[in-house]
Amino acid sequence: MLTSASAFVPSIGFGLVTASILALAAVGFTLQFGITNILNLAYGDLMTASAYIGWVVNQHGGSIAESLLAGAAFGAVSSVLLNRLVYTPFLRRGTGLFGMVIVTLSVGVMVQNALLAIGGATFFTYNFNVGATVHPLGFDLATSQLVIMAIAVGGMIVVQTLLTQTRLGKAMRATAANRSLAQASGIATERVVDAAWLISGVLCGLAGVVLVLNTTAFQSTTGSEFLVVIIAAAMLGGVGRPSGAMVGALVLGLVTEVSAAFVSPSYKELFAFIVLVIVLLVRPTGIFSQFAGGSRQVAA
Amino acid sequence: MTRNPRPKREMRSPLMPRFSEDGPYAHSGDSPETSGETPSAQTTPRANLGALLGDKAMHKFTRARVVLSVAATLAAALAVAACGSSTSAGSGSANNTGPLEFVSFNPFSGPDASFGPEQMAGCVPATMAVEAAGGILKHKQVTCRADDSRGDPADAVPAAEQLIATSSGLIGITGPSSDEASAVVPLFNRAHIPMFGDTGQKVFDHSNFAYFYRITPPDDAVGYAMALYAHDKGYTRAVGVFGNDISSQGTAPTTAAGFRKLGGQIMMQAIPLDQSSYRTEIEQVIAYHPQVIFTEADPQTSATYLSELRQLYHLIPIIGTDGTTQPPWLKAVGNALGKRTFASYYHAAQPYAPTSGPAYQEWRKELAAAASKVAQPASQWDNDSYSMAAWDAVNLISLAAREAGSANPTVFNRYIVKIANGSPGATVVHDFAQGKQALAAGKKVWYIGAVGQITFDRWRNSPGEFEIVKSDGQTPVAIYTAQQVAAAR
Repeated sequence: MLTSASAFVPSIGFGLVTASILALAAVGFTLQFGITNILNLAYGDLMTASAYIGWVVNQHGGSIAESLLAGAAFGAVSSVLLNRLVYTPFLRRGTGLFGMVIVTLSVGVMVQNALLAIGGATFFTYNFNVGATVHPLGFDLATSQLVIMAIAVGGMIVVQTLLTQTRLGKAMRATAANRSLAQASGIATERVVDAAWLISGVLCGLAGVVLVLNTTAFQSTTGSEFLVVIIAAAMLGGVGRPSGAMVGALVLGLVTEVSAAFVSPSYKELFAFIVLVIVLLVRPTGIFSQFAGGSRQVAA
Repeated sequence: MTRNPRPKREMRSPLMPRFSEDGPYAHSGDSPETSGETPSAQTTPRANLGALLGDKAMHKFTRARVVLSVAATLAAALAVAACGSSTSAGSGSANNTGPLEFVSFNPFSGPDASFGPEQMAGCVPATMAVEAAGGILKHKQVTCRADDSRGDPADAVPAAEQLIATSSGLIGITGPSSDEASAVVPLFNRAHIPMFGDTGQKVFDHSNFAYFYRITPPDDAVGYAMALYAHDKGYTRAVGVFGNDISSQGTAPTTAAGFRKLGGQIMMQAIPLDQSSYRTEIEQVIAYHPQVIFTEADPQTSATYLSELRQLYHLIPIIGTDGTTQPPWLKAVGNALGKRTFASYYHAAQPYAPTSGPAYQEWRKELAAAASKVAQPASQWDNDSYSMAAWDAVNLISLAAREAGSANPTVFNRYIVKIANGSPGATVVHDFAQGKQALAAGKKVWYIGAVGQITFDRWRNSPGEFEIVKSDGQTPVAIYTAQQVAAAR
């Protein structure tokens, strides 16, 4: 364990990298839940599947940028199809929140086992160069990690702008607040929901690829193992609030790395969850959550 | 964690028949029929989910889970009771001619999914050979099948209960692994099913589970072998980087203790698995200025950790446990670091088994005959001491049943130690067919298997030797005897 205060600044840098990956994933996750009220526990497995598609592109000579695009495209398309072909029929039959949790869990297991069947019980590694280590602001970061942070920041800006500055964003927020009223007001809610799954799927795919770029090696369970932290970040910020998920990711990322530097790496997740519990004790609906008439709102 | 591909070489001749010197129990075959204590199972990250969902639906979810759990437990208890928990699982077919079954109870999915196929690679060839030799007593059909523990006690316990409750011809188990052994060994022991664990956990060094056998060295001994090699290489300052899971932690304490006893200084680091980054942890390692790293973690964790170590600092010599000689670990870390770089920094300690002699030749012959029925390529198991141990396990159990004249484990269990440890005048045999022939001729048999001579102590453990291998997981650079390893304790 590091004993000097000099450990603090590097650990902040590492925390920002963790937060960047987490933010991409958590914003996508919370967007899905905020608009469709589906707690999609298959999310982590879709991240892995997207990373796998990116890996296939990479193994056929594709660059990392192409892998990111392929992962994002797969995440988007598979999310929309998953909602249209699996989740929506269940909802139409009146499946409740608890039932949908089980459905998503089942889908996750199926995706995970499909990956196991297709890719085998092995580990996959992208062919890429992480680049030189750089020291901005006293951090020790690989160039690839700066790129990950840039992708996350860019993604967050796009999502925030979309939700607050566009008609689609307003329609999404209206649909999240009261779907029936939004429909009565002339909003094509089905298309809005499709758009929400498409956007969250892009984030899911990007998160999957950047996660495995950072871990270097991955397997069929990599994404699902990350899911608990993703949900924690979403909860911390207030479920259904993308900006809250961003802050939640930042808090969790920093807490895990700083606690690893000053206490013990073994307990870094523990400290993150202690912070989560304390925050939820003070603000049971998360840092930024607002509830209007029982409906979750997607807002900036 | 304990597994390894084996080196191809001609280093030792097979051990000559001799009598065990390991004390009275070694020959008596008497063993205490106690159930022992059940170590508690670990909780999983899934347990956190309930706290995260926190709404009415989650309350329903929790209630439903409780109801389902109670119902499932009652159903399992009824099923076990119906089968008679005081009788052996194999006894159902002990007095007829029905099929007998060996089960490889190991992870076939999850992070340690490579363990199961390794066990099957030993179990399947052995059962095929037993069947080809006419079967066990009147049981002509002898098979081996996989049972997935998923490497998690939460999944392994219901799987074990179902296995016990539903299998009528179960005669023996290859496994369990370190991932689930603490949770399921008491269950199998209570059901009187002989098992040859591939777990390396220290808790089984001196356990009183009468049906638990281990013919691979315990993890703690691997740690001493690693420390010994580092000492021989002249390293005096080390870090131990071990995953914070049960499997990886099995080796950590003895690695540290052994290295300190040999005069070295060591900083231990237990790291959580499958994190997106370990850079903070690596900063701690850099500050310590180590000459060597002792390590075991799952492949993804190790790949992330070691590639980030190379980015932030530079690689230093790595000495891994036998868990790191698994093909998935070598592939993941080798790809992450670059194969040439990896090869120049990595060595690992693993149990040693002879790769020459009659038992080894029998093993290779039977593996070749079953090549199409094991995980491909079959050649990867040629020198795998854990596959060889599983092959020995099936042969020992089959011979014990043959000698006892019963497929009921409560009857033949005590013959396992007797056949493995040998007795005066016994005929040395190296597979089931040879043993069956000798028994039919009215001789006593002494089984010397693919892993070499098996000498069970009073806790049915058979300690062995270790070798240090290169990054191919096969080429040896040093061999340590059990006595040398014991000296580092």
